[in-house]
Amino acid sequence: MNQNNNTDMEKALTGLLEKYHVKPSLPFHLQMSGKVGELDMLSGYSFAEPELQENQVPLLTWRVKRKFIELKKIVEESVIEDVCLFRFCCIGNKEKWSLFSLLYREMDLFEFIGNGKIISVQGVISGNEAGNLILRLDNNALCSIEVSTQLPSGMPMIDRHEIIARRGVASDVVVDTQIPQSSIYSYTQQGEKRYTDVDMELYGFDDTRIDHIRSAFQVLKQPQLIKEWQSQHKRLVNFIYYINSTEIV
Amino acid sequence: MKPLKIAMLSLTHGHTRKYYQTLNDNPKLEWVAVYAETETVKNNFLKWGYDIPCYMDEKEMFDKHPDIEAVVMASANYIHLRQFRECAKRGIHVLSMKIPTFDMDEYAEIEELVEKSGIVCHVELEMHYNPVTTRLYEMIARNELGKISAINATNITLSPVWAFPWQGIPEQSYGKRVSLKPGDKRFRGGALSDHPHVFDMIRWLTNSEFDYVYAEAGPNIRQDIEVEDILLVNGKMKNGVSFLFDPSWSRLEERLEVPAPGWEIFPKRMEVNLAISGENGVILADCFGPNVYHNGKPNDRYTVQYTYFDEWIGMMDEFVDCVRNKKMPKINLKWHRKTIEAMNACYESISSGKPVCL
Repeated sequence: MNQNNNTDMEKALTGLLEKYHVKPSLPFHLQMSGKVGELDMLSGYSFAEPELQENQVPLLTWRVKRKFIELKKIVEESVIEDVCLFRFCCIGNKEKWSLFSLLYREMDLFEFIGNGKIISVQGVISGNEAGNLILRLDNNALCSIEVSTQLPSGMPMIDRHEIIARRGVASDVVVDTQIPQSSIYSYTQQGEKRYTDVDMELYGFDDTRIDHIRSAFQVLKQPQLIKEWQSQHKRLVNFIYYINSTEIV
Repeated sequence: MKPLKIAMLSLTHGHTRKYYQTLNDNPKLEWVAVYAETETVKNNFLKWGYDIPCYMDEKEMFDKHPDIEAVVMASANYIHLRQFRECAKRGIHVLSMKIPTFDMDEYAEIEELVEKSGIVCHVELEMHYNPVTTRLYEMIARNELGKISAINATNITLSPVWAFPWQGIPEQSYGKRVSLKPGDKRFRGGALSDHPHVFDMIRWLTNSEFDYVYAEAGPNIRQDIEVEDILLVNGKMKNGVSFLFDPSWSRLEERLEVPAPGWEIFPKRMEVNLAISGENGVILADCFGPNVYHNGKPNDRYTVQYTYFDEWIGMMDEFVDCVRNKKMPKINLKWHRKTIEAMNACYESISSGKPVCL
């Protein structure tokens, strides 16, 4: 399967819709079509402006990622109790990520997993390369977000999401490690390869595309998410504008 | 070279026990005596089995051992000035704990005492003698990352307040009782006061000074202590490098009165990690890894057992060299002043809710 082919993604999404008997109310695209009356469903950070057209759907793709769903459950079900501190870090390469997209993703994850709304943010930005934020939720939890786009091209994202509570700590990274783990490490004459396959129904797509398809499926299944995510998009973009406008120079 | 005759004062600092082996093993040192502040401290020391005379009176120790040339000032922050006065008067060189004082008038007096008496004062910032940070320093000095955008660092530990109670008493840790911020029941003197290393390391690695800092304290994990245990700091260096520090006590501990195996609740009791982002790429570093792991005694919990803690060897070697050859230590009071000023600025920022320029 050619993973770069958007048609393949739309086909896979159609397959899921048929399998689970979900009937979309409107035609859809997983890229910008600009067609009136048809949904354009892209990752939220693809839309730079806070205000969107009715048919522009900002997908919060990370919200359907299993590891974040599990972390959210750990918090919501009080597996860890009285969360005090979130420590988020996300380092990507410039080919794929911008500072805007990383900040957008991580701030949304903070609210999503933290089950609250951001009430304060203090950001320090270094050009388009790095940003270091201290934020607080309306439930008083504090958070650090560290983002950088300075990984060399082709390198997979390195991220970490740690939640520290009065009872317990949760994280998507193993204790005493600095980088995420993969499912398979292959060392052959062709060199080192890593694989992390997490979705059998969408087997063969990389994780970014899987999240894109899954979040679009979620929106088509629950159309009320369109307004909800458009509203969240506006907040996130405005936060990023605010960070850039208040930076001390 | 004649071994340096050395004693230890107070034995109440969290790092105290880390010096025992170095003072015992290093042939450049002759461990002469210790002064223990309390009976409990004395009994804890005697359990280690070192054949070193232990006094309950500091003056008595000095008077009975006039040959003492240097001390490790292993005491609570609030008595450092008094001990500096005594050492300066007697011409005794000082290996100071990492916070000589947070009071800048006291700091100036300590600087003056050291300068006028001609004693060597080496401040204990042992990360300068860590092989991982040394490697990082070399990589940055070789410009492997090109222009650096950001340095993020953690100095995350468990809280020492149960084993070293003075670290939870604002007057003894910070030097006075100052509210953390308006309307907050907590006071200065907690995790921030315990963790100068990240502030020091970024100055060393970037060869630049702080431009501004912003700090915020989170809700305490430990609700029954008077000082802050969770905080974050961000800001910029004068050369434009941005930073984010986490110097929290965010690893829970068993409330032991004497540090021992099983102290940690979270598997890893301490970390100093750095993430450095530059135009040529990113470096991630764990200053105390890799390690070994077990889930055995005493609590059958998965536990990170550290494999490296030898910073004290290089640091004490340098201290002896400075005393014997009349050199200025790399980490001297003048160098360290700006680190203390930055930490004080963080407390100001927590209080005001605003960035503080330095």
